[in-house]
Amino acid sequence: MNLPRLSLAYLKARPLNTALNMMLLALGVGTIALLLLASHQLEERMGRDARGIDLVAGAKGSPMQLILSAVFHIDAPTGNIPLAEAKRLAQNRAVKRAIPLALGDSFRGFRIAGTTHDYVSHYGGELAAGRLWEAPMEAVLGAEAARAAGIAVGSKFVGSHGFAEGGDEHGDYPYTVVGVLKPTGSVLDRLVLTNVESVWFVHIHPEKHDDPKAVLAQLREDEQEITALLIQYATPIAAATLPRMINSTSVLQAASPAYESARLFRMLGVGIEVLRAFALVLVAAAGLSIFIALYNAMEERRYDLAVMRMLGASPGKLMRLVLVEALALAIAGAVIGLALGHLLTEVVGGMLAAEQQPAVTGAAWLGSELWLVALAAGVGLVAGLVPAWRAYRTDIATTLAQN
Amino acid sequence: MIAVHALRHRYGENTVLALDSWRAGAGEHCLILGASGSGKTTLLGIVAGLLRPSEGRIEVAGEDLARLSGPALDRFRGRYIGFVPQKLHLIASLNVEANLVLAQFMAGVAQDRARVREVLAAVGLAERLAAKPEQLSHGQAQRVAVARAVVNRPRVILADEPTSNLDDAHCAATLDLLESQASACGATLVIATHDQRAKSRFATRLELSSRGTS
Repeated sequence: MNLPRLSLAYLKARPLNTALNMMLLALGVGTIALLLLASHQLEERMGRDARGIDLVAGAKGSPMQLILSAVFHIDAPTGNIPLAEAKRLAQNRAVKRAIPLALGDSFRGFRIAGTTHDYVSHYGGELAAGRLWEAPMEAVLGAEAARAAGIAVGSKFVGSHGFAEGGDEHGDYPYTVVGVLKPTGSVLDRLVLTNVESVWFVHIHPEKHDDPKAVLAQLREDEQEITALLIQYATPIAAATLPRMINSTSVLQAASPAYESARLFRMLGVGIEVLRAFALVLVAAAGLSIFIALYNAMEERRYDLAVMRMLGASPGKLMRLVLVEALALAIAGAVIGLALGHLLTEVVGGMLAAEQQPAVTGAAWLGSELWLVALAAGVGLVAGLVPAWRAYRTDIATTLAQN
Repeated sequence: MIAVHALRHRYGENTVLALDSWRAGAGEHCLILGASGSGKTTLLGIVAGLLRPSEGRIEVAGEDLARLSGPALDRFRGRYIGFVPQKLHLIASLNVEANLVLAQFMAGVAQDRARVREVLAAVGLAERLAAKPEQLSHGQAQRVAVARAVVNRPRVILADEPTSNLDDAHCAATLDLLESQASACGATLVIATHDQRAKSRFATRLELSSRGTS
């Protein structure tokens, strides 16, 4: 026998009370863990997706929408921009590198992006099989898209108009898969990549079986449009001049991924803060509940405490017994809460993945979770202090003589 | 083994116990008699080191209890005193065996399950090791309380009104048990009671008058 085992016997003697207290604490800790995991992973993922992209130029509209659609691929684009304008901008001396993006179609919910090989190398993409696209209507699939669609190099597929599944299919113009990428942990995994011309070709609805090269050669310049241009600055000074120049002197709009995602997190942040506050209230309620349960238990147990003193326990030992009980309850609640938080994160991650959104996983650990256990243990200790003091002060002779 | 000199105990203005001199030798079995309110329980509490007397000297097993600090007194009590309270106060959350192991744990002596089994066998409860106190009859619970008091082989066993509310047969059995267990570990046995049935069995008797209640 030792103090933890004795505490356990007391906790088991009141199973409902123990379960309620652990559940309250577990819900609070679980909610905080979910918020920590999800916001950390989303932030990290968005940071990775936006890394190296200093500015996005696209059609005028909401800058946030432009970033969401062109960088994170989670919103509809603001519109298209003339290729000629984009080319002029790309030749600006402040621009080190510009990657074009032509969006509009999707394949089983995964977006088809017309772009250059630079886009693949920007995210450090490597081929798992096949080769990169060279000609129109050749496509390379991101790892996640290839896995979900279950198609391999050599197969053909048709894109559907728009980004939701079930749009009109461009049935007459099938793409050929020429390559599949290795997983990168970035947005690249969830894309179907081809060249810009493929997107043009599909959207001008040529006669069936027309040769893409011949059709594209006849394309007028004003028909050549892209959706956005991803820009990397040549010098830091460009940040001060280039966005203003683009916004005021052209039909384009410039938006900064860093600024817009910070703004997004600020907006989400309010909701996250509210949830976190709610979770902390739950943890505090659990602390109060543990306190009340132990305080009442001391009243019920005053004979037990007196008997333990009679058997030779010092007041300090009884105090430790009560504190160990509170601590055991709190730590058990916290551990259950962490398990719950990871489970919930995994469930939410599964739901996001089903929507072709960047997924979060419950199988990752954060150092700050240890702080959660420490927080719960602290709450348990504080909740146990007054009952422990009550145990310390038990008047044995009077209690034992009571009838 | 127990030596009392000029002992007084007061609650506020009320003197609840006044005892000028009393001795009980090693291995002796003696009875403290007196009506309720005569200070029997108070005297037991003082001998057990649960209470510190207002005045006077008390020596148990050669130790002047007044000289022991709080934790030392707790250790002393756990090691040398076995106490059977009037309400038995077994720990309801623990089974019979654990109630006895608790006595070893709280006294800070080695946890010896063989000794626990031996004592339970001696009180005739070898089969009820795993029973919870609520599953025991009153007689069985009392035997567990006696076993708990002797498990650490104390020098002194104190029993507070062990025979109240018992019929004659159980009264005799309980006194038999206390005497046999005290003899088995060579302990001094002190029984506080107002039960006249116990009187004839014990040669050594201390009569407390109920002066304290005035």
